Amino acid sequence: MTKLNRRQFSTLLGSTVAAGALSMPNITGAASHGAKPKVVVIGGGAGGATAARYIAKDSKGAVEVILIEPTKRYYTCFFSNLYLGGFRDYDSIGHGYDALANNHGINVVHDWAASVDSSNKSVTLASGASISYDKLVLSPGIDMKYDSVPGYSVEAQTKMPHGWKSGTQVQIIKHRIASMREGGTFVMVPPPNPFRCPPGPYERTSMIAHYLTKHNPTAKIIVLDTKPKFSKQGLFQDGWERHYAGMIDWIAPDVHGGIKNVNAATMEIETDLDTFKADAACIIPAQKAGAIAALAGVTDGDWVPVMPASMATKADPNIHVLGDASIAKSMPKSGFSANSQAKVVANAIRGELTDSKVFDARFANTCWSLISENDGIKVGASYKAGAEKIDVVDKFISKNGEDEATRKATYEESEGWYAGITADMFS
Amino acid sequence: MVRAVAILSLAVVMSEVTCANSAGVKGDFEYGQYLAAECVTCHSTVGLDKGIPAIIGWEEASFISVINAYKSKELENPAMQTIAGRLDDEQIASLALYFASLPEEN
Repeated sequence: MTKLNRRQFSTLLGSTVAAGALSMPNITGAASHGAKPKVVVIGGGAGGATAARYIAKDSKGAVEVILIEPTKRYYTCFFSNLYLGGFRDYDSIGHGYDALANNHGINVVHDWAASVDSSNKSVTLASGASISYDKLVLSPGIDMKYDSVPGYSVEAQTKMPHGWKSGTQVQIIKHRIASMREGGTFVMVPPPNPFRCPPGPYERTSMIAHYLTKHNPTAKIIVLDTKPKFSKQGLFQDGWERHYAGMIDWIAPDVHGGIKNVNAATMEIETDLDTFKADAACIIPAQKAGAIAALAGVTDGDWVPVMPASMATKADPNIHVLGDASIAKSMPKSGFSANSQAKVVANAIRGELTDSKVFDARFANTCWSLISENDGIKVGASYKAGAEKIDVVDKFISKNGEDEATRKATYEESEGWYAGITADMFS
Repeated sequence: MVRAVAILSLAVVMSEVTCANSAGVKGDFEYGQYLAAECVTCHSTVGLDKGIPAIIGWEEASFISVINAYKSKELENPAMQTIAGRLDDEQIASLALYFASLPEEN
């Protein structure tokens, strides 16, 4: 967590709104007439934490905000690959919720949301408590579709981790790559579209290659992709050739013929081309919106259709869904996107509940990836709300052949962004 | 090094654009605060200044000059060119007003 100096701390204190008085609001009270309007946010990641923080901060105490998040310490998915590559320690990607409570009066409830009763506008928690709302924000991220990979299961994920929700799963991957036999094989199975963090599997491949180059240089990485092409493909493959020549073998689905079965007991991944025996593996299945979205009745298939200008769901105008769980086409599912959408949601909700001014919905995203030490690349765009979807205004992408200084600056930029976005979520 | 070059070119641009700040368009503080939410994802409101420059406490004229220099692609960095490219004079002036109001770091 970023340390604040004395002056920064004073600034934050100055913006605190009766934090002490608001730290323990009654969560079971009805969102009744005369009381403050109440917003319940489910999910404390890049979307939910940001939405809760902006609604509380900008309403200056006029809106009661309750954030429901099961974990007390949140480990970011973004930069978990840098932990695998040895560029970050695990603690540095973990963040707590104290500042959201202390600085902004948000009632942070560490529990699971078990169900949503949209007709009575209430949420029931796993503990049994019930919370009413005027507006509900769902930012539940993703759940795995384990059966999308034949043979894969929640039981198999310890031996063949997906590591796609950060936390313990990523620690297991780190342990397994460190324990690989000399000259062993790491097998990566990236997911089909759409999925969280499109460049992520390939940054992960790069970071594992970086680790193996240093500690196990004769090891091999086999990427059995489920897609014929991937995000920033030319940039990654150029980087793999320059830094890890001969180590990474990316195999397209038309070559391997599809994943026929994975066996966690034997560590075998079966395809038409061959059966690959892995010393360590990362199997990332297809994904869907976090379970609470379906329980709230706002999904259409695996994801949640939303109105682009407010991210209110098409099924229920009092439930807003943002981040990975939403269909936010043309934005990718990324932490940056979720953080950007959260600000649009916060602005729209405050407008409805307190008559504050609602400004034009605008979005942005940048996905940085690290290929090797000081070799960073990025892709990004600005967006606006169209009638049916979020439209691209302008976009950019790194280029092959950029000089070392540019690539180093891009990596340093990503470090700056990490410090910025995590402060924007948790401070 | 890229950053050093950026700051150098920024100084040149600023010296050339003195008093030309957006033809006197007046900024709106509340709008600036809303628009700034897009900036602080990377730049932060407490001046972290790590890999990405802190932009709090800048003089309005300087802020306007720099954003316009990214908008016209005189300053490099494709991310900033994309962000600045769609800002109109009122939006730039509003952002300048808001960021100038935030206390500069020691």
